[in-house]
Amino acid sequence: MKWIAVTLITAVLLSMACKTDYDIEEVATPQHLGTDYHEDCDECEPEDADQTHEEHEHETDIADPGSVYEETDELDVLETSGSDRHVHEEGERNHGTGWFFNQPWAASFIWGKMFRDIIILLLLSAAILLVSGYRRKRQ
Amino acid sequence: MKPVFTFALMTLRNLLRRRAIWGISIVILIALFGIGQIPSYGVSNEGRFIINFGLFGLEIGALLLAIGLASNIYPRDREKKTVMPIIAVPLSRGQYLLGRFLGAAIVETAAMLTGCIGLMIILVMNGHNVPVDMLPATGLLLVEGCFLLAVVFFFSFWTSPPLNAPLTVLLFIVSQFSVSGFVRLFPQAPGLMRTLRLFLPHMDVFHIKDPIAHGMDIPGLYFLLATLYGLAYMAFMLSLALAVFRNRDLK
Repeated sequence: MKWIAVTLITAVLLSMACKTDYDIEEVATPQHLGTDYHEDCDECEPEDADQTHEEHEHETDIADPGSVYEETDELDVLETSGSDRHVHEEGERNHGTGWFFNQPWAASFIWGKMFRDIIILLLLSAAILLVSGYRRKRQ
Repeated sequence: MKPVFTFALMTLRNLLRRRAIWGISIVILIALFGIGQIPSYGVSNEGRFIINFGLFGLEIGALLLAIGLASNIYPRDREKKTVMPIIAVPLSRGQYLLGRFLGAAIVETAAMLTGCIGLMIILVMNGHNVPVDMLPATGLLLVEGCFLLAVVFFFSFWTSPPLNAPLTVLLFIVSQFSVSGFVRLFPQAPGLMRTLRLFLPHMDVFHIKDPIAHGMDIPGLYFLLATLYGLAYMAFMLSLALAVFRNRDLK
């Protein structure tokens, strides 16, 4: 009877746990992943960039049609390396730092899942000890 | 519990007599010293590199120590036939495993603490501040080391020592994978791969060198949770090891 109960509990725990293993990226909210922030940025930044680009091309058209590409390239470099390109509010995430904030210490929404894993593993350990002890006694 | 502690102290004395343990500990300290000697070439925040590389060195040291400490204990006891009289009268199999594990864990703790203090000295010598969370970060690496110790014990009950080391290293590497990365190893059976992945801990839980190097605060609750997480996996691995050991015929 004990044997059956332990096996059943173990099977239930295993099936629960098997379905619920996860990566942080899989369970994270868009806010945590910063995808909503990217959208905001895409809306505002290219507009600025395009405007400058057009104005600049217009100026060079008048001055010297042959030097359009050269001048445009130079301006692109200025745009991307300038400090105005990425301005963030204090505490707001920068682009490309997802890996940093997708670590467990920063993803507090998975701490509950970690606690659940702890409970499942401890119960599994107890079940394994019980079953192996029972088998040893029978031998 | 008294017989377990007595046996653990006996194991500790046995392990300290081995040259391999001292060799690994010296290699860890030399590696840390080497990390401290890397020139900064004018790069600011050189301390970040020292902390990052130093804690990574400690993690690898924990892996090597776990293999060096535990892979030979049971096979040697069996070969010398000392396991039979120990188990026959004073200790049960569970107490034998716990005693051996605790002895090895004490050595691992001492080595990790020495490594952590060494890293702190290197930071101070290079004129950098020692992060407040350095000791808790080493504590988490120690928990990871104890889990690896339990893995080595588990393998030592059914494999030979030469096979134990590569299997443990393989498990260490695979445990670093994310769930999706692990599934990509065999994408034909994602369900099976997710199930297998569950039995391995998410090792990134124990890695907090990045936030420490960047001076970020880590909540105290996280340290507690991560420690419990590691201990739960360690208990799981030890229970598996005991289940295998209980089925072993020692004659």
